Amino acid sequence: MNFAFTKEEEAFRAEVREFISGAMTDEIPSRWLGGLLDTPARQDFVTKMADKGWLSIGFPEKYGGTESTMPLAQYVLNEELHMAQAPIVGKNLGVVVNTLLHQGSEELKQEFVPRILRNEIQWALAYTEPDAGSDLANMQCRAVLDGDEYVINGQKRFITSAHFADYMWTGVRTDPDAPKHKGISLLIIDMDSPGITITPIWTIIGERTNDVFLDNVRVPKERLVGEENKGWQYITEALTYERFAMTSIAPTVRKFQRFVDFVKETEVDGKRLADDPVVRRKIARLSVLVEIGRMLDFRCVAMAVKPDYVPYIEAAMNKMWGGIVETEMSDQFLDILGPHGYLWKDREANASEDALLDGDVADDYLWAGHQRVAAAGVDISKNIIARRYLNLPSS
Amino acid sequence: MDMEFTEEQRQLMNTARSFLEKECPSALVRELETSDLGFSPGLWRKMANLGWLGLPFPDEYGGYDLGVIDLVVLGKELGRVLCPSPYIPTVVLAGGAIAAAGSEEQKKTHLPRIISGEELIAFALQESGGSYSGRGIKTTATETDGGYVLSGTKMFVEFAEAADRLLVVAHTSGDADSTDGLTMFLLDAKSAGVKLTPLSTLARDRQYRVDLTDVKVPGDDILGPVDGAWPLLEKTVHTGVVTLCAYMVGASETIHHMANEFAKERIQFGRPIGSFQAIQHYLAQTITEIIGADTLTIYAAWALDNDLPHRTIVAKAKSFTGDTFKQASSIGAQIHGGLGYNEEVDTTLFLRRGKQYQLSMGDSGHWEDVIAEELLDN
Repeated sequence: MNFAFTKEEEAFRAEVREFISGAMTDEIPSRWLGGLLDTPARQDFVTKMADKGWLSIGFPEKYGGTESTMPLAQYVLNEELHMAQAPIVGKNLGVVVNTLLHQGSEELKQEFVPRILRNEIQWALAYTEPDAGSDLANMQCRAVLDGDEYVINGQKRFITSAHFADYMWTGVRTDPDAPKHKGISLLIIDMDSPGITITPIWTIIGERTNDVFLDNVRVPKERLVGEENKGWQYITEALTYERFAMTSIAPTVRKFQRFVDFVKETEVDGKRLADDPVVRRKIARLSVLVEIGRMLDFRCVAMAVKPDYVPYIEAAMNKMWGGIVETEMSDQFLDILGPHGYLWKDREANASEDALLDGDVADDYLWAGHQRVAAAGVDISKNIIARRYLNLPSS
Repeated sequence: MDMEFTEEQRQLMNTARSFLEKECPSALVRELETSDLGFSPGLWRKMANLGWLGLPFPDEYGGYDLGVIDLVVLGKELGRVLCPSPYIPTVVLAGGAIAAAGSEEQKKTHLPRIISGEELIAFALQESGGSYSGRGIKTTATETDGGYVLSGTKMFVEFAEAADRLLVVAHTSGDADSTDGLTMFLLDAKSAGVKLTPLSTLARDRQYRVDLTDVKVPGDDILGPVDGAWPLLEKTVHTGVVTLCAYMVGASETIHHMANEFAKERIQFGRPIGSFQAIQHYLAQTITEIIGADTLTIYAAWALDNDLPHRTIVAKAKSFTGDTFKQASSIGAQIHGGLGYNEEVDTTLFLRRGKQYQLSMGDSGHWEDVIAEELLDN
């Protein structure tokens, strides 16, 4: 039993911190968890990391990867990036590269993996539809093989990176007669293809996501990932990578520490907030919940580095806990701030002059609700734990 | 990072599990609730024969030199069957204090006898109006010719009636609000002026109020430095707390498992109640909390074993694990419906202990105050 990082991992952490302090600019931090690569500044930042070989750690050299003796390198890297609110390296690597390496054809691996590891191409993940949310396997976006091409018709919703991505990693229905989990396939769609229309959806904190409409979009059949009608298996495996890579506890730790510093230096009615017994108990209680998040994170990571083990359950537990802690924490923080808590930001994301902590806590409160439901949220995670771990019968 | 137990630790776990399943069924737990001693001397001897009572002690006194993580491994198994025993007060707390602070003579006298199961020592720290810490101790020890005179009242002293000795923490100087000026005494439990009053508890375990009225204690019974007990005792207390956390994790796993199996079998509305999301979500959240508590308990043990700062982490572990056991036992009974509150169903054994252990050895509020001090006052 050992909870410490190795000397090598700690040295790597120091190197990452040094890199971040050199490469970070005001344009880079993002309010989205994990940070979208939607601006040149953020893309440049990640390309600099790619140049250092940090996107390719642990992947096979044959596809542009870098051998590593540090199984936790990617975890350490993401933890530091999260702490700095910089874009993490999780989404493209976690979902697309892992799935391609496990299931993709040799041609797809060679075509895409090296370019992803160099940060030359951006991806949008497209599973959700208006009628396929929690019931993700209900996706209806249809792909029909016509000669050497699939023809795709349908709609995808909440496709966060669609407006700047080069490719869309898309779940489509290839067999409408099979049970719903067994008729889904994964296709790589070029965003320049004719027939794609993208319209924005604005979230409550003013970040952009999208509806994507596909009207007779044609995709070469070689862009099928793995086997036809096995897409659901690939998607659920990859959702695990996403839950693990994107829901790190680090952002929560960062917000918690910032707030602790705040209550130590803030007075209400002439008394230090940190001396108020109710505030003290609240902060202590939250620190325990955050610590449990860190423990579930550790478990997830420790399992994820085991060969051939997909930490499906650990990731679901992590995801569930993250949603619970974020909502609880931001709500309690607003309670401590009192009426100042509702001083928010204007439409250009500028905080009002009298707002405390730049109005970020109000953002966090709104955002936490989103985190409870995004990418298989708290309740869906509980379903997964109940069925897959506790073997409870389906209803 | 490596979250695996060693081969030896897994062996200890397996041995303990099969031994305790056989030797400590719930019928025994019930029987001991109404017995005089509150534990089984026969089972205690067998635990001694298995070497469990020597786990944390140096091998020169007959121990096994193992760490807090090993105590956690065993503690979880004891908790899994709700085994009533003086393991925490005698081995972890009193034994730990003797190993940490005792003279060579005291170690040679007491440790082998603790290890063999011949000597029971009760641990008398907490008092009414005081938290589970070195604060709030009003008991005093006044020096007289050749010894000390102790006066005061200790609360929540487990197995005091069966004990050969009492480890009493008293002020030789300083005042009740301070941890300065505390001294440990290892006095004969049958000393004149020691009066035991049994306390009826939720868990129906053996706890006592111990009134000390001008109890004369020879100077030889001082354990560790005069006026300097707390710095040596704090780590031992933390080790005891972490062992209780492990016990609670094991107990939580059992009650969760009982509820989970019940939910698969119990048919209402024509189907197993475990197919309803209301039930599934309770069980899913509770198991996640148990796994979190388990990992945090092991983390705290690891910090103690490696001499890392451990005050906050132990505080977090006790606070969360206590809440988790309370919640798991409460949800566990609830899922059993009316049956869950039926005396003869084992859920009630857990339900009563779940709330008691959350409050004992420092309730969640106490440990939250400790966390707040560490986070906000430096």
